[in-house]
Amino acid sequence: MAAAASLSAVARGVLRRAVEAYRDHPETVRWLHDQLERIDAPLRVAVAGQVKAGKSTLLNALVGEMMAATDAAECTRVVTWYSYSDRTRLMLHTTDGQAHTLPVTRRGGKLIVDLGGTAVDDVDRIMVDWPSQSLRPATLIDTPGIGSMTTENSARSTAFLVPEDAPTPADAVLYLMRHLHATDLGFLEAFGDRNLATAAAVNAIGVLSRADEIGAGRLDALSSARRIAGRYRGDPRLQGLCQDVVAVAGLLAQAGRSLRQDEFQAFQALAAAERQDTDAMMLSADRFLGSGSSPDDILPLESRGMLMERFGIFGVRLATMLVRQGRNSPQALAGELIQRSGLRELQDTLTHQFTERRDLLKARSALLGLDSVLRQNAPPQARPLLGEVERILSGAHEFAELRLLTALRSATVTLPADYRTEAEQLLGAGGTSPQRRLGLDGSADPDTLREAGLDALDRWRRRSENPVLSRGARDAARTVVRSCEGMLHTLTDR
Amino acid sequence: MVESGTVAAASQTVELAIKASNAYQRPGLAARAERALARLRHSDVRVLVVGEFKQGKSQLINAMVNAPVCPVDDDVATAVPTVVRYAPEPTVNIVRGKRSEDGENVVLQDPVRVPIEKLAEHVSEAGNPGNRENLQYAEVGIPRRVLENGLELVDTPGVGGLGSAHGSATMAVLPTADAILLVSDAANEYTRPELEFLRQAARLCPNVACVLSKTDLYPEWRRISELNRGHLQVMGIADAELLPVSSTLRLHAVAGEDSALNAESGYPELMTFLRDRVLGQQAELASRATGNDVVAIAEQLAASMRSELEVLQDPDQAEAKVEALRSAKDRASALKDRTARWQQTLNDGIADLNADIDYDLRDRMREIIRESELDLDAVGDPQPVWEQFSEDVYQRVAAATSANFLWTSERVQWLAGQVAGLFAEDGAEALPELHIGSSELLSTVQEMQLPTGEKFGVGQKAMSGLRGGYIGTLMFGMMSTFAGFALLNPLSAVAGVLMGGKTVRDEKHRVIERRRSEAKAALRRYIDEVQFQVGTESREMLRKLQRELRDHFTAQAEELGRSLQESVRAAENAMRADENDRTQRATDLRAELERITNLEKMGRELIPSGQTL
Repeated sequence: MAAAASLSAVARGVLRRAVEAYRDHPETVRWLHDQLERIDAPLRVAVAGQVKAGKSTLLNALVGEMMAATDAAECTRVVTWYSYSDRTRLMLHTTDGQAHTLPVTRRGGKLIVDLGGTAVDDVDRIMVDWPSQSLRPATLIDTPGIGSMTTENSARSTAFLVPEDAPTPADAVLYLMRHLHATDLGFLEAFGDRNLATAAAVNAIGVLSRADEIGAGRLDALSSARRIAGRYRGDPRLQGLCQDVVAVAGLLAQAGRSLRQDEFQAFQALAAAERQDTDAMMLSADRFLGSGSSPDDILPLESRGMLMERFGIFGVRLATMLVRQGRNSPQALAGELIQRSGLRELQDTLTHQFTERRDLLKARSALLGLDSVLRQNAPPQARPLLGEVERILSGAHEFAELRLLTALRSATVTLPADYRTEAEQLLGAGGTSPQRRLGLDGSADPDTLREAGLDALDRWRRRSENPVLSRGARDAARTVVRSCEGMLHTLTDR
Repeated sequence: MVESGTVAAASQTVELAIKASNAYQRPGLAARAERALARLRHSDVRVLVVGEFKQGKSQLINAMVNAPVCPVDDDVATAVPTVVRYAPEPTVNIVRGKRSEDGENVVLQDPVRVPIEKLAEHVSEAGNPGNRENLQYAEVGIPRRVLENGLELVDTPGVGGLGSAHGSATMAVLPTADAILLVSDAANEYTRPELEFLRQAARLCPNVACVLSKTDLYPEWRRISELNRGHLQVMGIADAELLPVSSTLRLHAVAGEDSALNAESGYPELMTFLRDRVLGQQAELASRATGNDVVAIAEQLAASMRSELEVLQDPDQAEAKVEALRSAKDRASALKDRTARWQQTLNDGIADLNADIDYDLRDRMREIIRESELDLDAVGDPQPVWEQFSEDVYQRVAAATSANFLWTSERVQWLAGQVAGLFAEDGAEALPELHIGSSELLSTVQEMQLPTGEKFGVGQKAMSGLRGGYIGTLMFGMMSTFAGFALLNPLSAVAGVLMGGKTVRDEKHRVIERRRSEAKAALRRYIDEVQFQVGTESREMLRKLQRELRDHFTAQAEELGRSLQESVRAAENAMRADENDRTQRATDLRAELERITNLEKMGRELIPSGQTL
């Protein structure tokens, strides 16, 4: 959207003026330069959640490679950034601001991070540059679990995601949860903004991870998980805190995206065996990994161990069933696994909620950051900037849209139910392209779009003047009218 | 009945003691024996199944009794605590709560019988979302061998969910439990909240076991189990049992009568834990207390016979003997005087406790007000955060009252022990020949622990404990009172809008100020109310405790007095008897004494060695 691009330009302008105003404060200037670079850099999406919510697994699934270390015990100990680059590089940043290059070693496809003698406490972050196309649109940041037994790990995450004194380094967050826990709500509240002048809820997506485990490993577990995600999505307490809730079976998605030929062959062997034998084997993880003549005849223990580690008991059951049903190539099996894992929905949501809005989100991070710097310590020549930042935050229509969305979701502003759904859509809740806003499919031609846009504009104009509606509702309608106008503007520009 | 073997033996012995007491016309002693018998017969064992939500608590119970008694679902399932116990045929009762007239307490209504297939509609989150039916708990009775021993399994709503007021309710019933099973699945090691919960639970309940569920799903469960053991060690609760189980396997195993699979499910170990540790300990405790009672009764019965026999055998010493007995009797009646050491300690102790507990409560409440007011100042406008804020306040109040209660019960137990010790000491000094002991003390102190927990209460099965009891009812009863305080005067808001223009900002500021001070006032009113209610409850509890301890020991002193009185009478009779009668009487007495000594021996056999008090 043209307007959003101009918002980046506006943000850049203010930052440059701030650089000028702070020229006597080298440290602040360095920080401001970082922010300027950040506006042009890819969006930063943090993957956060409680311990063992499956953050690293999901990150691997999104990247499509086994990069982040995963383990049954709590294992992510430091904040790790994964960003796109055409060559592989591993950098360690210490808390005192130094950076060292670490050797890149991979074992069994996994990236091995050796801190090289630096104590975990002294590590600020690890930066991984990786040539994966999946990292192009956004830099992904893996964080240690919240609610960790190791308080230091937990503190490290909280300090990173919700710093006390500075703006958060992440533009958006994927919040993973096994089930929605009260702690999760607390975190989402803290990450969303406390400052009501800006918008909350815009930069978070809830992920019901480990969806495969929900129904005690039954084959219909994933549809159950989707139903639960749907319920969370409708929960008023969550609506004000995150844009959407999606169910994903991380392990399945990770395995599906990196399915190997030997794994497929192992599933073929399982599928070929007698059903009652395999059923008995798959009763429990222990049985599957147990020794005995029947399991050994079907598949050697080593292969079974590998399958269990990569797919989990649910994945093994599902994949065997799929091969039996005729998915007879690794591609077909992988495709079906990914399809069922819910990864596609997550990627779609990411695209519509984050990637399409990246300029807005980045500008927002930069402006909020600048705002807090100005508030902490502003030399006289920088003071006028404070008012300007505030004016942009409260004046730019993009922020007004976000604010209204949040207000509608948290029921601070109420519209009649049928108006509300339409308003959210027009405000860009499902994505900011004109097609998305108008609820038309991607192939709609410009004329249809313009017509639908004009209809919507007309409708909402009338609503904005409807005396029966409350004052708040009429104000909301006016904001929707402006969204329609903006959208029509871009359509005519083309 | 608990572990039939031990208990049957104990009951038989007590019945003998009752017969003997009646035969010698000692109704006081007979009553004591009757009480011991009643305790033996009503030793239900309550096992609380707790944990965060979605860990498989309901399924654990289902698999234990092999019946789908607790509804399970992929989404959050349990909304209302469910008590599963033995019944000759399947029955389901639900108990609703009703606000009392003054609106401050929740009163339990009579149980309502509902068809078994309707249970899920009442207790599950799907059928009764957020417990809008205001059920206090449901009772399910089923004919199952495992439950026949008086085992009572309580399924609780998960802690930590969105409607997480459950947490404090669960904390409130912990002290009434004989055992606690903390269920946590093998997907990950313990989280901090789970360990915190465990640590508190271990203080409140003698038997805590950690159940590691869903081992069929997670190949790494052995490692998780090791990690958990490590965490328990660090927390200082290393003696808590850790039991890995798989409910899915257990249900498969029972359906297919597959004993190998049953062994894999880990359930045999769980059942052994319940039988040996929980039920067994309960039985041991019951039989130990009973044994002490029987010994005391037998010794008191024997006392008069012995004195009579001594006089008969040695008439020359008769005068001196009677004199000694008389002065012993005086010393025994001095035991019940207000000036007796135990009486003084009891009265002083209760007075001190009253003051200390009250101070502790006030202190904690003041701290809550201080913290909450700081929070209110920090948020600016309290209205948007009101719901969350009040939830925070409930949590803090729940934690504070729990801590206060815990501390109270610890001190109460200590005081009771102190008083019993003094009574035994003085008694022994006064009457060295009698086994005064703290016979009933074990069970007395246990009963004292929770005056409102009707664990031992005969007939009173209503269990206001679930969600109720000391803290529970109070908290839940008052929550809505607090939430209902009108925070926002609608007129003031309208006024703000009407003024419009440039004054809106100032006006808005003033509106917020006003809301904030109204919020603070509401907070203070609420805390005041809590303090009053909890204060009243604990004073009431202490008063009851004081009375019961006093009555208990006074009755014992009186009974001792009667025994000595009997001894004096018997000795005097013996003095008056002539030579022939004496020989005859002495032979009779020896025979009777042997019977009583036999009873005493049976009593001692009930007491595990080295445990005589």
